Amino acid sequence: MNKRLLAPVVGILVFLGAWEVLVRAGHVRPFVLRAPSRIVRYLTQHPSGYASAAWVTIQHASIGTLIALLVALLFGSAMAASEFFEHAAQPVLTLLQVTPFVAYIASVVLWIGSGTKPALFIVALVCMPAFTFATVDGMRSADPATRELLASVDAARWEVLWRLRLPSALPSLFTTARYNVGLALIAAYLVEGGNFADEGLGSIGRRAASLNQGDALWSAIFAMALLGTISLVLLSLLQRVAMRWHVSQRRQLR
Amino acid sequence: MSRIVLRDLTKQFGELAVVDPLSLDIEAGQFVSIIGPSGCGKTTLVRVIAGLEPATGGEVEVDGAAPIEARTHKRVAMVPQQPGLLPWRTVRANARLLLDVNRSTNPVDAVAPETLLDEVGLGAFLDVFPHELSGGMQQRVALVRALALHAPLLVMDEPFAALDEITRAEMRVMLNRLVEGKGVTVLFVTHSITEAVALSDRVLVSSPRPTRLIADIAIDLDRPRSAEVEDDPRFVELCAEVRHALHRGMNA
Ligand SMILES: Nc1ncnc2c1ncn2[C@@H]1O[C@H](COP(=O)(O)OP(=O)(O)O)[C@@H](O)[C@H]1O
Ligand SMILES: [Mg+2]
Repeated sequence: MNKRLLAPVVGILVFLGAWEVLVRAGHVRPFVLRAPSRIVRYLTQHPSGYASAAWVTIQHASIGTLIALLVALLFGSAMAASEFFEHAAQPVLTLLQVTPFVAYIASVVLWIGSGTKPALFIVALVCMPAFTFATVDGMRSADPATRELLASVDAARWEVLWRLRLPSALPSLFTTARYNVGLALIAAYLVEGGNFADEGLGSIGRRAASLNQGDALWSAIFAMALLGTISLVLLSLLQRVAMRWHVSQRRQLR
Repeated sequence: MSRIVLRDLTKQFGELAVVDPLSLDIEAGQFVSIIGPSGCGKTTLVRVIAGLEPATGGEVEVDGAAPIEARTHKRVAMVPQQPGLLPWRTVRANARLLLDVNRSTNPVDAVAPETLLDEVGLGAFLDVFPHELSGGMQQRVALVRALALHAPLLVMDEPFAALDEITRAEMRVMLNRLVEGKGVTVLFVTHSITEAVALSDRVLVSSPRPTRLIADIAIDLDRPRSAEVEDDPRFVELCAEVRHALHRGMNA
């Protein structure tokens, strides 16, 4: 195994080992914290339930994130183009970003109904502001010399957008995506706990918590952590392909 | 192929006069350098001629039409001071950039960028990203990007200013080879006397801001020109003439 793969695996094994030891040494009551070995055993005994729930959660989080990204690219382009629009949108986006969404999940479910819709809506809503700010910043960072060059051959607005501004926003969009992965999963999990759909890891977690089923609850938590890790790894791979040309992707001196 | 006429051109940014009434007639196919101290308004002048900035007063004609006309038909090819390459495009794709935008007005007889890249010694770097190139190589890509447009007017704004002296000397020779006999009109901004004389048919010397013509010097050196032209006694004389004109402008 090469070093790049070995290091994170060692890190995780050490973490799980310490967790196991801590629980077995009896410092923590089982409901508060289950040992990883017990969680893994429970998960392998109920594979299909967790797999189908995880699949639902992945869909909520990823489709919601994609919607957020599309809306953000639209808003961001408009904000980068118009100062008025930027100043009008900024406070609203900031408001969205700082309001704890947990507080209004129930209201959204009452408003747009149960099931998938509120999950996608809230995931998209909470991920959108950061993506929008990243789009604006990235587009602003486009090289002025290249902008002038494109102007010298009368490039249309959409060509400048497509060939210069959007690619310039890639680095900041990827940075934001790393942060939004966690946010999207948390939002999906919490909405699934309250959207009366009985689907997704959030629904398992919510039910297990109310019935005092520690194994089921900790398995849901464990599955969420696994989803987050896998998402981040996939995102890194995507970034390596999409941003081969960028400084962040070159080997660094230490 | 591209005659430039200025009649009493003026340019102001608010209160700041950058170009004083300036009249000029540049013959098609000539290589003309504009030399003057930093901040005198050279960049502004060529941006007006390239249709990137409106004139405040007077008239500008490029090929008998307004500069904006030349710009919308991609008849002006620019080489900026910074190469301005797109980091996510390979050398080959960067060289194609100006052809890729506003395609409907592309020339039919354009030389393939790959051929030009080969001519400037980048044939082995077609699929490399800009960050892997030296400054001189990046500027050569920028030059090819402009030449690939096959435009009758080439506007270069201090394209070699950021390069070291050895690389600049190479670039002078290469640029002469690339444009000689092609019939293209070149407007070349510089503050290097050697560069202006080695490359031009005509050198325009400007005063400090606002731009006024101090001297209009014909460079009667033979073409094609090689690196040896810089050892020619006539070359040295012409350099002295440009230098004296610059001094006159500074002290005026
Ligand atoms: N867009 C602009 N707005 C206001 N002032 C400008 C602008 N562009 C250039 N200037 C001013 O015009 C003067 C000439 O600038 P420039 O044409 O870049 O000179 P040069 O290229 O000869 O160094 C400078 O004083 C500069 O500050
Ligand atoms: Mg300048």
